[in-house]
Amino acid sequence: MNRRTFWGFTLPSVVIMLVLMVFPLITTIWLGFHRLLIRDLNNPSWIGFANYQDVLTDPEFWSAFRFTMLFVVVTVPIQMIFGLGVALVLDAVGRGRSIYMAALLLPFIVTPVVGSLVFKDLFERGGLLSWLIEVVTDNPFAVEASNVKWLILIQSIWHVMPFAMITFFAGLQSLPEERMEASAIDGAGFWRNLWHVKIPHLRSLITFVGMISVMDAYRVYDSVFVWTGSRFTEAHTLQVYNVRVATAFDIGRLGKGNAIAVITVLGIFVVLIPFLWRSYKEQVSERL
Amino acid sequence: MLNKRHPLTMAGIHATMLVLVAWSVLPFLWTFQTSIKFTRDVAAKIPVLWGYETTANAYNSFWLDDDEINMWAVLAFIVGVGAVASLLGIAGRRVSKRGGRSWLWFAAVIAVLGLAVWLFPRLWETETEYEFLVNSIVVTVLTMIISLTIGMLAGYGLARYTGISGVVILIVALGFRALPRTAFVLPYFFGAKEVDDWLVSSGVGTWDFPLIDFPFIDQLTLLDTRLVLVMALVAVNQPFTIWMFRTFFIEVPKELEEAAMIDGASRLSAFFRVIVPIMWPAIIATGLFTLLLAYNEYLFVRVLAPTNWTLPVAIVSLTGGESSRTITEAAAASVSITLPIVVVIILFQKHLVKGLSAGAVKG
Repeated sequence: MNRRTFWGFTLPSVVIMLVLMVFPLITTIWLGFHRLLIRDLNNPSWIGFANYQDVLTDPEFWSAFRFTMLFVVVTVPIQMIFGLGVALVLDAVGRGRSIYMAALLLPFIVTPVVGSLVFKDLFERGGLLSWLIEVVTDNPFAVEASNVKWLILIQSIWHVMPFAMITFFAGLQSLPEERMEASAIDGAGFWRNLWHVKIPHLRSLITFVGMISVMDAYRVYDSVFVWTGSRFTEAHTLQVYNVRVATAFDIGRLGKGNAIAVITVLGIFVVLIPFLWRSYKEQVSERL
Repeated sequence: MLNKRHPLTMAGIHATMLVLVAWSVLPFLWTFQTSIKFTRDVAAKIPVLWGYETTANAYNSFWLDDDEINMWAVLAFIVGVGAVASLLGIAGRRVSKRGGRSWLWFAAVIAVLGLAVWLFPRLWETETEYEFLVNSIVVTVLTMIISLTIGMLAGYGLARYTGISGVVILIVALGFRALPRTAFVLPYFFGAKEVDDWLVSSGVGTWDFPLIDFPFIDQLTLLDTRLVLVMALVAVNQPFTIWMFRTFFIEVPKELEEAAMIDGASRLSAFFRVIVPIMWPAIIATGLFTLLLAYNEYLFVRVLAPTNWTLPVAIVSLTGGESSRTITEAAAASVSITLPIVVVIILFQKHLVKGLSAGAVKG
């Protein structure tokens, strides 16, 4: 394909991405240097790095940062190990696999706010699990500041695990039969088989799922917001904190909100750049 | 050769699976129960698990404006529409397997569903929530059409072109895919407001734009309309769409369209006549994820459409209160919004799994 045809095909998409992604991102950076209030949108005034200073000295920012880090560190590994385990079981199922898969996929593709809502209802007063916990521990149970963090983490694992499961399952399906047979003839047990045959086969998928999960966990918004609303500020992630600052009724500070967004984007790029660089190298070498 | 497993092992595997299924669907089952209970049972200290009286009051008060409506008739209407649509769909699949003109049947499915959405508020008096459902449908459908058309062309170009600019576009798109919504949503809001100010002051906004906005509107604006939601969703969905299509198109041998081009077809017509007809699985898989993205979106709608919501925002707005009435209503709303997704899983499970693993296969 020559250059002209290529641009003919890609131009609409590139224009959309330039106008609606690159340009807004530049606007975000530009507005981050301004004082801009939601009740006075027409008068942005340049204040340099004051927003950044404000953000970095805000204890709520650091609290949101800490919880976001905890969120990534806890949910990503657990969800991947759990997902791999389920994929292995699913791979062993013969009949009825598609029914199991349909049920297991539901938490992943349901509307995230609804997923959180239905999960939360189990633990609210009058919910099934809050009643069970009350029976077992003999103490009344409800969603409150002391436990909401853990409930959010559990619900997130519930929500995203199917992604790891499906990807690993697809990987296991592509494992050549001969390799399984060879290891069976060698008399390898389940664990040795897993360690020496299956996991090496899944290696590139594990990196892939890990990357995607880290990015998604880092920018989580919908499902956490439903749990906390504007309460439980210690369980706010960076995104929830960001939206709260920017859109708070009547006092929304868009300038500061944009500064938080810029800091968040810089944070994700620390993780992302090595990955992007690797993909770039791969694509360049593949193209020849 | 599959080695036969011991029946006890198989039983253990199925038992494990059932536990996992319970973990996945328990919240949904509980919510479904809540949605058909009377408030006195919802408020009970010890959960009422069976033997309770059922009611459709919560569905009635969320969707409908009139308490006297016979909900069995509403249910019969929905089940009837679903049955007609699935019969047409099954017929379409039969025809397509025999190589006939199946698109006529699938168009009929869409026509039936569209007619039902149009007819429903004319049969029963609906609440504003029905408008939010219509918003959800319009935004989702338009996002899918625009996003897939543009993304498909770009994905094809990127799969066939070997220049360095193609790689740069792909990598930048990959980077954008990882960015949080908040990096875009405030500029969208601010930008839409600037555009609106200009539309009002210059008078361009008096132009009429049916379908995307409510018809017969006097003043075209962006904020609080379906148009701005579609624009925002198409934009954030582009990186994903072009990557997905590229992954699928790169597997298609070049000789296919080259043969057509030797016969004198242009690149574009070769693409539409030769490549698109064999790529339906890819289009369906990408389309499903676009559908889910648009249908599930919360933050953009919340910020860009302060009153003209879609369903997710309508549901969350019910959750602030603590009264049992809003609990059952929120449950009914959650069940209503989840049912279409359950249908999607049942009908398109294969495509979903394919789509989820397509990005992965390439690593």
